[in-house]
Amino acid sequence: MASNNTPLLKVDNLCVSYGHVNALKGTSLEVFPGEIVVLIGSNGAGKTTLLETILGINTPTSGSIVFDGAPITGINADRNVRSGLCLVPEGRGVFASMSVLDNLLLGAHHNMRNVRANLERVYEWFPILNKRKDQIARTLSGGERQMLAIGRALMSAPKLIMVDEPSIGLAPIVVNDIFTILCRLNREGYSILLSEQNANKALKCAQRGYVLETGRVALSGTSEQLLNDSGVKEAYLGA
Amino acid sequence: MNFFIAQVINGLSLGSIYVLLVTGFNLLLLVAMIIHFSYPQVVVFSMYITWVVLQATGNNLALGILAGVLSSVGLNLLSAPLFQKVMQKRGSVDINATMVLSMGMGMILTDVLSHTFNQGLPISFPESLSSSTSIVNSGFINIMGGQIWSLAVGIVAVGCFFLLLYKTRPGRAFRAIAEDPNGARLVGIPIMRTGLYSYALSGVLGGIIAVLLAMLLGSASPGLGELVSHKVLAVSIIAGLGNLAGGLVVGLLLGVLEALFQGYISGTWSNAIAFAIMLVIVLVKPKGLFGTKV
Repeated sequence: MASNNTPLLKVDNLCVSYGHVNALKGTSLEVFPGEIVVLIGSNGAGKTTLLETILGINTPTSGSIVFDGAPITGINADRNVRSGLCLVPEGRGVFASMSVLDNLLLGAHHNMRNVRANLERVYEWFPILNKRKDQIARTLSGGERQMLAIGRALMSAPKLIMVDEPSIGLAPIVVNDIFTILCRLNREGYSILLSEQNANKALKCAQRGYVLETGRVALSGTSEQLLNDSGVKEAYLGA
Repeated sequence: MNFFIAQVINGLSLGSIYVLLVTGFNLLLLVAMIIHFSYPQVVVFSMYITWVVLQATGNNLALGILAGVLSSVGLNLLSAPLFQKVMQKRGSVDINATMVLSMGMGMILTDVLSHTFNQGLPISFPESLSSSTSIVNSGFINIMGGQIWSLAVGIVAVGCFFLLLYKTRPGRAFRAIAEDPNGARLVGIPIMRTGLYSYALSGVLGGIIAVLLAMLLGSASPGLGELVSHKVLAVSIIAGLGNLAGGLVVGLLLGVLEALFQGYISGTWSNAIAFAIMLVIVLVKPKGLFGTKV
């Protein structure tokens, strides 16, 4: 485990393009152990691309990613998950035709040794998942699916949890629940990189943030600085 | 009535082979994301390997069966890199490319069989394997040992397959990829390696099918794979592409229907009638009786 003054995740000057479209144009960011860092940006700013590239889904054209002291640029997602990186995808990405239990076990694909203890812990976090463990995921509500997706991520015993737009498509009251859970997870020691359009709520539970605009970091700072920034207020806080 | 029952049992044993074939085909479709149209040709090739080994070892059944299974697994694993190369980018089923590759493979296998083994003449399996001795023979009922065997092994094999699919870690990964390949990748399922497992597993199934076909038919010819491959493709489309449970029902149904046609109408017309019925079903339900899973 990296100590507190070396970053757990360090993304340096990352460029990713889909054909002729440059989705990321030299993005850099850092996440330190125990932090929640929020990535603010509108649709198409490159948030999902950034998170998926860190996970190892896209191959960057240039730049580097270092996770937990080891370079992981261009390494496949399954190996990164094995070494403690994980992503809660946008839109939950729950397997609708499989049971809640099967979904959770999929998260433990590389971590079957402590599966029983991890299941117990996830059920403690989300008692509703224990109650619905034999149900098909399709029958869950949107909020329950989000909890399932987070629970599944926890099953991989992650060092860093990346959460892609957890609030999308959820009722405001459910969004509050999800953010409460993320804050609690952080207090228990989980490091979290969170992408959000809902900047207000996200910044209130994060320590630091980056504002992503068309593939570049336009602004970065502590949550307080960003919440008080006039540009951020205008563009993302609806003030 | 006795004759009817005999034909139904006959049909079920043939049907269980269709079920296994469709299951192997669907597994490759769902997990490896290829349309392996010529999977039955691989099976028939394995029948020939079994035959060769039986000839060479003085009908050592265990070695023959082992050789059949190994050759089918080997052939599947050898073709895997080719398919994966052709597909290039995973995540979408490139139907056209994989089908052309599979068909080419089938043609080559058929040609190899007709030029290399037994001067292209049909091969026949020894009595000890094909077990064509009657177990029950009273009046019209005449049930062969091979029929009972293939039905029993078929049931056990399908049972084990579903157990693996629903109760094990690789089975869970299979289902995740089948439902959403991109989602499976995001969760950290190794798509390529899990794909290779599915080639291996369908190879094991293929080897079992080869032995069962040898038991049931007692013989094989180079053209057998092609005939069977048409039926397997038809059954999987009728059931709904990638629908495993549907394939089970339709595979058994086709076997029974064919046996009844053979018994009551004319053996020579049974293929044509079976395909005519399937044509009607496809016209009425284009997505198959049970809906596609891909």
